[in-house]
Amino acid sequence: MASSAEERELLLHPVVPENVAHNTKTITDIRSVTCSVFGVAAGILGLESYSGFVFYLVGSCLVSVLMVFMAAGGQPSRYFRSSSELWTTEVLSGSSLASFILTWTLFFGLLRV
Amino acid sequence: MFTSTKSAALISVSTLLLIHSCYSAYEHSLISVPTNTLPLDVTLETLVSVFLLCVGIVLNNSQELKPISWSVWSGQLERERGSGPYGFLEERLGFLDIRGKRAEFSDWVKTGNE
Repeated sequence: MASSAEERELLLHPVVPENVAHNTKTITDIRSVTCSVFGVAAGILGLESYSGFVFYLVGSCLVSVLMVFMAAGGQPSRYFRSSSELWTTEVLSGSSLASFILTWTLFFGLLRV
Repeated sequence: MFTSTKSAALISVSTLLLIHSCYSAYEHSLISVPTNTLPLDVTLETLVSVFLLCVGIVLNNSQELKPISWSVWSGQLERERGSGPYGFLEERLGFLDIRGKRAEFSDWVKTGNE
């Protein structure tokens, strides 16, 4: 009946697709807001080139840790299908990096040029 | 309810801190020569306000996550609402008395014709 191990696992422990989509949307919301905030901070601090992107990555890791322990209650597997989803969603893809660069350059320009 | 007020307070306080550090950095850029680095207190204020703002934002969304496993999810729904996602299946009718229904209908037709 179930050919692969993954299908067998899915048949034994079915998931709710609406909740998966809902959780992913929640992460995306948190990411998009916090990325703009990181851009503001990077602009205020006057970071340039690589140090700004390092700041972005460190901040994203911080937000991931906060989400694991405060939003997911230390059990990401309860809310997400793969454990890496919480850490990688919207970090390098999507609009988060773009909004970070937007607010970064905006505040850098406002405060220094 | 308590969490939402706490996170709202955290978000407003840290936003004020961020605005204040932004204004401080602007004033500093007006006074000093452009190559001068930012004072330590402004840097610290920015970092602390960003950290608090992140905590507030995550806390604000922390009630939103829903468990993805069917068993956990339906158990939670049954505890909170009294019926799970398949609750409508438990409120269906039993067997219909189809002979009784036909008899009622024929009586109604006969009395209507008279």
